[in-house]
Amino acid sequence: MLLKRIQPMAFQARRLYVDIMFQVMGRALQAVSEVDETVQNEARALPQGLLFEMMVMPEGPRLIVEHIGDGHFHYHGQSAPRPVDLSIQFKHIAHAFLVLSFQEKTSEAFANDRMLVDGDVSYAVRMTRVLNRLETFILPKLIAKRAVKEYPANLHLPEKLISAARIYLKVATNFVETVRP
Amino acid sequence: MSQKYYEFFCPVKVIAGKAALEHIPYELTGLAAKRPMIVTDKGVRAAGLLDPVIAACEESGLEIVSIYDDVPPDSSTSVVRDIAGIYRQEKCDAIIAVGGGSAIDTGKAVNILVSEGGDDIAKYSGAGILKHPLKPFFVVPTTAGTGSEVTAVAVITDEKKGVKLPFTSSFLLPNAAIIDPRMTLTLPPHITAATAMDAMTHATEAFTCMAKNPLSDAYATAAIKKISQSLLNVMDNPKDAQGRLELAQASTMAGIAFSNSMVGLVHSLGHATGAICHLPHGLCMSLYLPYVLEYNLESIREPLGELLLYLEGPEVYSATPAARRAEATISALRKLRDQLYKRCQLPRTLKETGKVQESQLDHIAEMALDDGSIMFNPKEVTLEDARSVLRRAWA
Ligand SMILES: [Fe+2]
Repeated sequence: MLLKRIQPMAFQARRLYVDIMFQVMGRALQAVSEVDETVQNEARALPQGLLFEMMVMPEGPRLIVEHIGDGHFHYHGQSAPRPVDLSIQFKHIAHAFLVLSFQEKTSEAFANDRMLVDGDVSYAVRMTRVLNRLETFILPKLIAKRAVKEYPANLHLPEKLISAARIYLKVATNFVETVRP
Repeated sequence: MSQKYYEFFCPVKVIAGKAALEHIPYELTGLAAKRPMIVTDKGVRAAGLLDPVIAACEESGLEIVSIYDDVPPDSSTSVVRDIAGIYRQEKCDAIIAVGGGSAIDTGKAVNILVSEGGDDIAKYSGAGILKHPLKPFFVVPTTAGTGSEVTAVAVITDEKKGVKLPFTSSFLLPNAAIIDPRMTLTLPPHITAATAMDAMTHATEAFTCMAKNPLSDAYATAAIKKISQSLLNVMDNPKDAQGRLELAQASTMAGIAFSNSMVGLVHSLGHATGAICHLPHGLCMSLYLPYVLEYNLESIREPLGELLLYLEGPEVYSATPAARRAEATISALRKLRDQLYKRCQLPRTLKETGKVQESQLDHIAEMALDDGSIMFNPKEVTLEDARSVLRRAWA
């Protein structure tokens, strides 16, 4: 049957998409924490050295960032230098795909039991707000509105355009740096 | 929304009504338990609430092997360890928690230790750590508010580290919740009011926050109807056993609703205020409820408007234009609070509590933003938002 041959490809594409989105988000988290005050203020309350992980159960794609202090994040890629302190875990790759393709808001995914928090809930609350802020930066306004509960009023177009451009630039540079041997 | 997904789970057997306590022996025997231990606090014992429980068991030839009656209002890891020690020493095989939130949470935590082994309850803190069912565990609530008899959560203070440890697992849910009107008959007026408003808030937030779903909605609306029909009657006639039972059931139903759909900003602010100003939880709920609903109004207009039917009945509901129902719901809740203030001075503003300084509001706002329940509030709350809700709740 055709379906049987097509499905594995679709599954693979989905996994690849989640994998790539995690990489983009990881780099964007680091970039946004270097330029955006709101994210910095949010992140400052996290302990220095806190390792945050977002992953797909059971052993799927993951992204790991560290709060290196003063509201700045460092992206560690797929592997953590030590056991993570806070983990947000999608129950299935399909659920990660829903969120990362912006069909379901992060807070909605929590509300819908799509993911679990392992670690201090107050840190998870902060990271969710950081992720919301991040989504408004890296997405066009129309899609961002779907992805977050509220589109921030203080994010005016020029600021958004400039910041987004800066972030994309940083993501691109970081990407090039990573692939360069 | 056809795209919506939800989960709903409540495996607790509810044993409710007249002579419910007398079902305990039969239910324990059905789980092969012969040596139950009671976990409770001094207040419950002093109020004579243990007597009917013990009598019900002894009459059926079931001996209560041990009674621990020293659970503090804020239970700690060492209390849990001590009780687990007694349980093992007395070779108990089941736990009956009799009391409010703290006794119930302690019972849940003791059950982890005596089932999983060890002395260090902190080891089991977090979500999804437990993988096996625990020992037979019954809960007899003596307040009508927290809904802890149907929640899969327990919070225990680690006094050495000065932090609150959360435990989350569906295995913490008791096998049975025994709702007997005798247990809440002697609750003093201000506690009756505050705990009922806690249940009211559980139901209202469950119905208006992000994880609402058809099953929790059914429990939430039924709970609101029972509370609005019975609370003032019970305030006026504290010995009204039927009214007491209605409130107790409503509390359990609201507990089932919110444990499946979570709560929102009222609880975030309430938890912070409780921690900073040491005000009772139910009081904080009653205080913040209308202000938070006003803040959330435009995000929850439709569901909030529906609640008018359960708060005020079909006549008022049908006489109110659809566009005005959400506001009318808030007015109905304010009216209820005014009635409670008249009867027992349950505070309606932070100033009326006499225990909050205006200078503490910023601290409360900051702490509320770190509370887990803020995640499920229908509106994304900023620090400035939280501050402005607090300012409105001030006086
Ligand atoms: Fe509550």
